[in-house]
Amino acid sequence: MSDESGARERGALVRRAVERGARTEYLAFRLAEETYAVPIAYVKEILKLPPLTEVPRAPFDVMGVISVRGRIVTVRDLRRRLRVPEAAPTRRSRVLLAELPTDLPGGGERVGLFVDEVLHVHRLSDTEVESAASAIGSDLAEYVAGIGRPTRRDAGDAEMIILVDVKNVLSTTSRGLQGPSRALPVGRG
Amino acid sequence: MDHRDEFISEAQEIIDGFGRDLLVLDATLKSRDGNRGPVQVDPEIVNDTFRAVHTLKGLSALFGVARMSTLSHHLEDLLDDLRLGRVELEPKVLDVLFRAVEVYGQILSALRAGEPEPQRAVEELLMSLDGAVSRGAGTASNPLADYDLDPGLLGVLTEYEEHRLRTNLAQGVGLYVLRVKFDLLTIDGALDGLKTKAKPHGEILTYLPSGEPGDPDTIELDVLLASRQTLEVLRLELEAPNIQIRPVPRRVTKTPPAPPLVESEPPQTVYGGMEPRPRKTHLPSAPMADEPPETPIGGAMVRKPSKAEEEQAEGNAQVGFGLSIRGVAQTVRVDIRKLDHLMNIVAELAIVRSALQRMTDRVRADPELRSLGLEMHRLSRSLDRHLGDLQGGILEVRMVPLGQVFDKLARVVRQISREHDKDIHLVITGAETEVDKLIVEELSDPLMHMIRNAIDHGIEQRKTRLARGKPEVGTIALNAFQKGNHVVIEVEDDGAGIDEQKVLTQAIRRGLVTEQEAATMLPRDVLAFVFVPGFSTKEGVDELSGRGVGMDIVKTNISKLGGVIDVQSEPGTGTKMTVTLPITLAIISALVVVVAGRRYAIPLASVLEALVFEPWALRTIEGREVMSLRGQTLALCRLEQLFGLPSPVTEELARRFVVVIGAGAQRLGCVVDQLIGQQDIVIKALGKSLESVRGFSGATELGDQHVGLVIDAPALIEEAFTTSDGRHAGRRAGSEV
Repeated sequence: MSDESGARERGALVRRAVERGARTEYLAFRLAEETYAVPIAYVKEILKLPPLTEVPRAPFDVMGVISVRGRIVTVRDLRRRLRVPEAAPTRRSRVLLAELPTDLPGGGERVGLFVDEVLHVHRLSDTEVESAASAIGSDLAEYVAGIGRPTRRDAGDAEMIILVDVKNVLSTTSRGLQGPSRALPVGRG
Repeated sequence: MDHRDEFISEAQEIIDGFGRDLLVLDATLKSRDGNRGPVQVDPEIVNDTFRAVHTLKGLSALFGVARMSTLSHHLEDLLDDLRLGRVELEPKVLDVLFRAVEVYGQILSALRAGEPEPQRAVEELLMSLDGAVSRGAGTASNPLADYDLDPGLLGVLTEYEEHRLRTNLAQGVGLYVLRVKFDLLTIDGALDGLKTKAKPHGEILTYLPSGEPGDPDTIELDVLLASRQTLEVLRLELEAPNIQIRPVPRRVTKTPPAPPLVESEPPQTVYGGMEPRPRKTHLPSAPMADEPPETPIGGAMVRKPSKAEEEQAEGNAQVGFGLSIRGVAQTVRVDIRKLDHLMNIVAELAIVRSALQRMTDRVRADPELRSLGLEMHRLSRSLDRHLGDLQGGILEVRMVPLGQVFDKLARVVRQISREHDKDIHLVITGAETEVDKLIVEELSDPLMHMIRNAIDHGIEQRKTRLARGKPEVGTIALNAFQKGNHVVIEVEDDGAGIDEQKVLTQAIRRGLVTEQEAATMLPRDVLAFVFVPGFSTKEGVDELSGRGVGMDIVKTNISKLGGVIDVQSEPGTGTKMTVTLPITLAIISALVVVVAGRRYAIPLASVLEALVFEPWALRTIEGREVMSLRGQTLALCRLEQLFGLPSPVTEELARRFVVVIGAGAQRLGCVVDQLIGQQDIVIKALGKSLESVRGFSGATELGDQHVGLVIDAPALIEEAFTTSDGRHAGRRAGSEV
């Protein structure tokens, strides 16, 4: 899928979103039964899940690598970071190609994020976003930027959207590597 | 490529050339060997350095790189003084110039990174520029007056030419005029030939059209040659049907060494008759580009341009509009990413080709379509061949000589040896050996580190060397040569060598080996400890001749390029580091294997052989599986275990295979389930987020959208052996099995 058709798809979703003043656009997606979202500015493309090649001894949240027009892209599993139950991929499964600006840690690399289903684009104002700290106190807090509660929703839209802190998720790869997961494969066998 | 990239690469080229010239000058200075007479430096090289900086000045001003332009402006003044003999070439002047090469490099890397130009480095250099210069007394006498030279000629000489003329005359060198007739079509080559022939006998100061009317297809030039030879010798060596030689007479017949006046022609005819003569042909030429473009030969411009014009013409020519049309037409600067893109297309084509091949096979299998099948087969073979040529062609374009790095290293040697006050003779062989551009870029840091180590800790102080009966001047040899599909680079010094005993002591102290094991270790294995990360600590530096400092980083960098590094050392005699690298990274042949249902590619360069796995040949030594191969013990590695993949049920497989991989002198047998075959693959880097995953050098597309991982054989071998050699690691792994 080209960037343009990705943009078209997003455009259609945007039309469903509530239009009210200057807001941030979030792309909502489903992981297991919960609704999550990331700022759409970071999403470059949405792909159907291509054949995935697993990488032995990779960090625990790496599902594998795929080839996107000749480029090798690492696909990471948000479910493992966010401790969401994993189910086998379905025909609704998608990979979001995300990229942080090069000046941020972990930026400049295009990374795939596995999601169970892509939902809508929501435009949320600051008043509709609760800070993460007040919402959840667990160690997951560092991956959660806040909780979105859209005041106007279409039928079937989630009441509560967990806003994923993409910057933290993408920049903490090395932390995952140096954690216990790295030592694991050595002992295996 | 945007303009900035173009500027950077062009500037880099000029700076590289500048650095090379400085090295030649440095060598000339050194060859003087203590005798304090005036240095006979090649004036052409000094002139080249001037031109390089002059061009840089123009370029950087054009691209708004202000500090570079300012720096070049000041350097240009110094170099102008140098070439005009107003400043003498001394080591401290060269120091400043070498420093300039470094600062230029810093400016360019800042530009590349999108950062502002380094301010301090430039300012410091500008300060030291003033300090370095001690202007010599201007030449007082005027030897020109002694010669019957046409005042018209003196008027058109550039300041530089006039300086060279004065210098030669002041040294008592004779002046000759060669009147030569060249065919207009072949003048470039002929002129070059004459220059080459004349060079051993003297210096060509200038050449101008003679202005004699003649055949429209030929041109007559007067070449002014300064030579110490007698007329007879010159006539013997240089004269030809189209070349006549005569001396320029001296006005006052003083004492020799003026050349004997054999012929007495009226002196004013020497440069007489210089009226413009209309002629269509203006001769743009590559050799001309090497010469100051102020010497037009076509007759279209006979008047010599003034210095200001000369500069302008020169600037234009270098930026690419002007005189050197041929030079521009024959080389193209290409962004390496464009070549990568082409390589990707070739890889896609290769995938299409194999699909076509499969179809052809199907068609051929159908008896009714036999003739069609044959034709398809022929076409597919032809496609195959051309695709191979295309691939080879692109690879060839990517190849650059290692000399690019070696020049840089030569500067490093000079700098460090001066810092340490050690005399070092650097011997380079095989600078013309070609490797992939990307490899060359990545090589400079590791090689620089190796050289630095060799100077810092290998080569001893003068006194120590003399006491050991070695020559006072240390030697570092940098050798490169091709060996099959690999390039070998050796860094060899005749220094103190590495003391194995001290390495062992350190290894034992750090718990890398037990004392019992140490007693039976081979020297090779002992030296390998210098590559263990952090092996040489600060206090270890002196003890170990410091060879461990950063050697682990060197090793990592080399393995990233798919290479291996080996060290040999003879205490008291020297150390030799050998780096073996693949020639190209872009496309390699690989053996595709299956492990636990997953396909992996092993670069063929690392595969020694593949054999059927025979479980009965298996033995276990200290908890490790080994087998016997032609009387030698081969350590085995179960890839599915190492990679943490589900173990295949062995009974179900008719047979399995052992792929023997090698790196340096070490071998490892990898047990795999299936051999799929050989395939040309394009290795692509894994993303940054997988940087630290061990065992894979990248990934590749194996067709049908499927990605296969490429096994990093040297890393795998290293891993296999460090977990078995390093006892603690081996035990830990063993206890969990």
